[in-house]
Amino acid sequence: MDITWFVVLSALIFATGAAGVLTRRSPLVVLLCLELMLNAGNLALLSFSRMLGNQDGQIFALIVLVVAACEVVIGLGIIVAMYRRRLPIDVDQMNELRG
Amino acid sequence: MSATGYGWLVLAFPLAGTLALALGWRLWPGRAAGWIGSAAILGSFAASLGMLFELLDRAEDSRSLVGTAYTYADTAGFRADMSILVDPLSVFMCLVVSGVSFLIHVYSVAYMTSDRGYVRFFAYLNFFVFSMLLLILAANFVVLLMGWAFVGAASYLLISFWYRRDTATGAGIKAFVINVIGDVGLVVGAFLLFDGTGALDYAGVFEEAGNAFGRNDGQLVAACVMLLVGAFAKSAQVPLHTWLPDAMEGPTPVSALIHAATMVTAGVYLIARMHPLFELAPAAADVGAVVGTVTLLIAATIALAATDLKRVIAYSTMSQIGYMVLGVSVAAYGAGLFHLMTHAFFKALLFMGAGSVIAAMGGVQSLDKMGGFRKAMPFTFATFTIGALALAGFPLMSGFFSKDEILAFTLNRGGGYVVLAVAGYLASGLTAFYAFRMVFRVFFGEPVPEARELERGHLHHGDPANPATGEKEDTEVGFPGPEHHVAEQAWPMKAAMAPLALLAIVAGTLGIPGVTDTLEHFLEPTFEDSRFLETHPSESSEWLGLALGGGLALLGIAVAALVYLRRPGTALQLRERFSTVHTFLSNKWYFDELFDAVFVRPMAAFGRFGRSIIESVFVQGVLVGGTVGAVRVGTSLARAIQTGELRAYAFLLVSGLGGLVLYFLIVSV
Amino acid sequence: MFTIHLSIVVFLPFAAGLIAAFLPARVGRWLVVAATLGVLGYAIAMIADFDGDSGGLQYVTDDAWISELGIRYQLGVDGLNLFLIALTALLWAAATLWAALRTEDRPRLFMFNMAFAETAVLGAFCAQDLALFVVFFDLMLVPFYFLIGGWGEGDRVRATTRFTIYTLVGSLLMLAGAIALGVLAGPGGDLSFSLAVLAERPLEAGTQQWIFLLFAAAFLVKAPLFPLHGWVVDTYRATPIPVLVVLSAALSKVGVYGFLRIVLPILPDASQHFQDLMIILAVVSILYGSVLAFSQDEARLVVAYSSIAQLGFIVLGIFSLSELGSQGALMQMVNHGLVVGALFFIIAVLTARAGSTSLARMGGMALRAPVLAALFLVVALATLAMPGSPNFVAEILILFGTFEDKLVYGLVASAGVALAAVYMIRLFQRSMHNRTEPSAEPRELGGLDLAVIAPLTVVIVALGVYPQVMLDRTDEATTSKVEAAATAADGSPSAAEAPQAGPPGGGAPPGVQVQP
Repeated sequence: MDITWFVVLSALIFATGAAGVLTRRSPLVVLLCLELMLNAGNLALLSFSRMLGNQDGQIFALIVLVVAACEVVIGLGIIVAMYRRRLPIDVDQMNELRG
Repeated sequence: MSATGYGWLVLAFPLAGTLALALGWRLWPGRAAGWIGSAAILGSFAASLGMLFELLDRAEDSRSLVGTAYTYADTAGFRADMSILVDPLSVFMCLVVSGVSFLIHVYSVAYMTSDRGYVRFFAYLNFFVFSMLLLILAANFVVLLMGWAFVGAASYLLISFWYRRDTATGAGIKAFVINVIGDVGLVVGAFLLFDGTGALDYAGVFEEAGNAFGRNDGQLVAACVMLLVGAFAKSAQVPLHTWLPDAMEGPTPVSALIHAATMVTAGVYLIARMHPLFELAPAAADVGAVVGTVTLLIAATIALAATDLKRVIAYSTMSQIGYMVLGVSVAAYGAGLFHLMTHAFFKALLFMGAGSVIAAMGGVQSLDKMGGFRKAMPFTFATFTIGALALAGFPLMSGFFSKDEILAFTLNRGGGYVVLAVAGYLASGLTAFYAFRMVFRVFFGEPVPEARELERGHLHHGDPANPATGEKEDTEVGFPGPEHHVAEQAWPMKAAMAPLALLAIVAGTLGIPGVTDTLEHFLEPTFEDSRFLETHPSESSEWLGLALGGGLALLGIAVAALVYLRRPGTALQLRERFSTVHTFLSNKWYFDELFDAVFVRPMAAFGRFGRSIIESVFVQGVLVGGTVGAVRVGTSLARAIQTGELRAYAFLLVSGLGGLVLYFLIVSV
Repeated sequence: MFTIHLSIVVFLPFAAGLIAAFLPARVGRWLVVAATLGVLGYAIAMIADFDGDSGGLQYVTDDAWISELGIRYQLGVDGLNLFLIALTALLWAAATLWAALRTEDRPRLFMFNMAFAETAVLGAFCAQDLALFVVFFDLMLVPFYFLIGGWGEGDRVRATTRFTIYTLVGSLLMLAGAIALGVLAGPGGDLSFSLAVLAERPLEAGTQQWIFLLFAAAFLVKAPLFPLHGWVVDTYRATPIPVLVVLSAALSKVGVYGFLRIVLPILPDASQHFQDLMIILAVVSILYGSVLAFSQDEARLVVAYSSIAQLGFIVLGIFSLSELGSQGALMQMVNHGLVVGALFFIIAVLTARAGSTSLARMGGMALRAPVLAALFLVVALATLAMPGSPNFVAEILILFGTFEDKLVYGLVASAGVALAAVYMIRLFQRSMHNRTEPSAEPRELGGLDLAVIAPLTVVIVALGVYPQVMLDRTDEATTSKVEAAATAADGSPSAAEAPQAGPPGGGAPPGVQVQP
């Protein structure tokens, strides 16, 4: 099977994720979209791995999965913490890091 | 032991004394510190005698020895050893300095008894003697500078000895700073010589000077003038003299030792030591001669109007050193050093007498408040009068021979020097007058209450006060108060004054024209290369000079007697008659005011200007503020981008990514 | 001869500081003190072991570090930095001891920063690779930023910011200069930052000049010299005493040391070109610093401005471009470090007694504190370069070196010697003499303070009695450093290099008679 399809699919998923990150205000959804982007990357890595016939890409994909899991843990943790403090769950109002 | 071995001993005794006194300052009970200090100086004197005998054992042409302990500094052509030079000149100076110092130490043992800084005083005093001997024995300019600066520091410490008095500490600073100006002069002079001769030790410099410089060579003259700056600062010659009268804030033994007998004559010693250079640069020698003459005149006139007993003696010291500087500058080395020696005797004696009187007055130093001490203090009266007679150049006293020998030499040089000699004779009349003005005002006339009390056997007791400001004394650090002993009641003071009185009378026998020339003969090996060695005034002209000098001295004394004894009102009348002159003189020719206006105030003004304008506006404002400001502006721009908007960051990220992808697409096509 | 590893010398304090940070404060602070004493012992062994006749580097460590950029980890000691390393070691030992005896807040962090700072300064002195030097030079700022900002007095935040930004800007200029130097001197990408290599790759005169200016900016800010001394006042006011001691005694020397180590050998033509400019800055610093020093009321600022004047003397000596002058300058670096360290400790003691740094609130302490007064007097006299002190030998060498070629500047500078007498004696008199202020409580030095101040004084006196111990070992190295710059002027040797006419000076050996 031609690799193009896989890459196009990966690009589409990535674009969907990116659009979500840019447009949604809920941090939960932003996190979800981030996952989408990461998995789009995973998809591309796996496809290329298949195409080249070696295992490097798969290892990368595994690492990305681990990173994604960590990120979700921290991200959800922050969101839960904010919820408990009754802070607004809205990325546009979370600008404490303003210079 | 070799002569240089004795030379190191001469230095070792007072240094050991200083260390013993300073490190064990809590241990020494009672007067022990005084006796330890005196013993150290006596050791030094004995070692000086050892040097003398060693030298006398040697042939006349091998009486100059250099002893080197170690290499002090040696780099890139600059070489200075820690070495001493023993020759007749340095031995002579060592004998005078250690001898007079010993007597003054003994005097101080009693005089300073009631002072709380007793041990400190002797530690300083011993350190001073060490420094002075180092200065004398130095064999190169670096060691000379060391001794030169050490005596300045010792002088500072001793002037500020009663350091709770701000007049004393102020005088100390003034003396120290003017001395440092002299040090700088010496450094510059030493460089100019080093530049020409490549050497820093005397022997090397003198040997090479003839080859390196022509007669009156510009650089050599400049070097000698810079050396003279050093000499003038140390010897209180115009215009660097203003510290000496102020230095009288120190305890009286200090005035006797440092500011009369020893340190202030260092300039004279320096000129004598450097005579091969000054003879190559007669122009510089003439500068010395003229300044010496100007000083001796100015100081003598100020002494006429001064009312502070110690300051009168201080101005007379300045004036006498003027004679010495004149003497060594006109190549009358023997005569100049002869006067240095006799002056050390009689001036130390005068100060000791003055100290006794001031103690009796409970610290008051004003002549206006003194009078009639003749009966109360017969011993002081007798010795003080001997000192005054010697100072005045009364016939057959020591000062008579030494001072007039200088003037006879000066006359003999002829030409413009005659003017200098005439000025010298004029001032010698004034000297006799002011010397006896002191004697008559202190010891004659109606006895003041203090004198009466003393006659009845007890000392005046009053609250100690600073004689300069009238401020109540802070007695914590000690003070020259009414508990101080007078010579009549303290045997160490008498024991110190009696030998000096004797010497003030008889020391002249070392150089009676046509009869004895012991001193001159002894010093000859040092000055044998002098062009003027053989040019002596004829015996008859010397005696003529002596007669003239003696006559002037008698005249001066007679006038003083007339003014102060026969018609006591005359002085006041004269003062009113010539009030402008009197104001001018009692303001000391306005030298202090001049320095204040030329140096001190502009400097202070510049300091204020620097602080308020340069510092805050330019250095900290424009430069630091500007730099820091520029960095701040840059960072605030960078901060403005950090909005904290998560989606804005994401947008930037994605558009950057998009841009990159686009770029590679375009490139790859 | 035994092996001395410079890396141990350099990194020992840092390692000790790091370990101490995890130990109880009581133990940790003494570990750091022990490490600084160890470095001091090492430095003394090095002085004893040092071969003074060789002008070259000794105890060299030379490894590849970032080989792509030609940067090497190159450490070495010669006459130029031998005594500066010893000075650094001595002052850090004194300062950490001083700090360890007082209970600072957050002692472990303080000690770690002190140790870190020592490593950085030692590294800068030892580095023989320009890039390594720059690294250590900038690294020095980090611990000082925390030390001043965290433990300072008064308006410490403002002082820290100004100090850090101002000196960092200077450092950045130097970084640019260093990169330019390495790149422009390395033909065809053969990069090297090794100082020895750079010295053999002469640059165009024009290139040298702008690189010179970049380096000079960094070094003059660090020194500091007029008019780049603006950070001094705030910083000296705010810095805690043990930090101030090492800041003014050792840190300020890194800048002037840079001139001798880097600028003169690598940029000889530019050094010659800017000689007059640098001498004028030096002379102005001497006079300006002196005048401001005696119009200050705050004891610390008197010493601060006096340091500007003293560093003026050092720069004057260096840019006299003569052997005597640079020899004197090197000696004066060490001497000034010693006296200024002792002075700040003494001022700390005085401040504790008077309850204020203002001279007007001090006075009359000599009576109750004779030992303090005696030590202060020795240090003050050494500071004003009294003959017999090591500073005198240094200043006379500087002045002689300057007189040779630049007589007029030398004469103006020697006025600074007289002014030094004014401000130092004034400082001594105001604090020790005159009447006691009612608020001051004069007390004698404690035994612990004495243990810090007395050794410094002893070293000063010892160097004054026998300065040759230093000259012997430094002579070769300084000579080789100024050679290039002194001869740079249109190919002809300057007067400083011309052989002196006449026989070498010096007294006859003992017992030999000399006819005057």
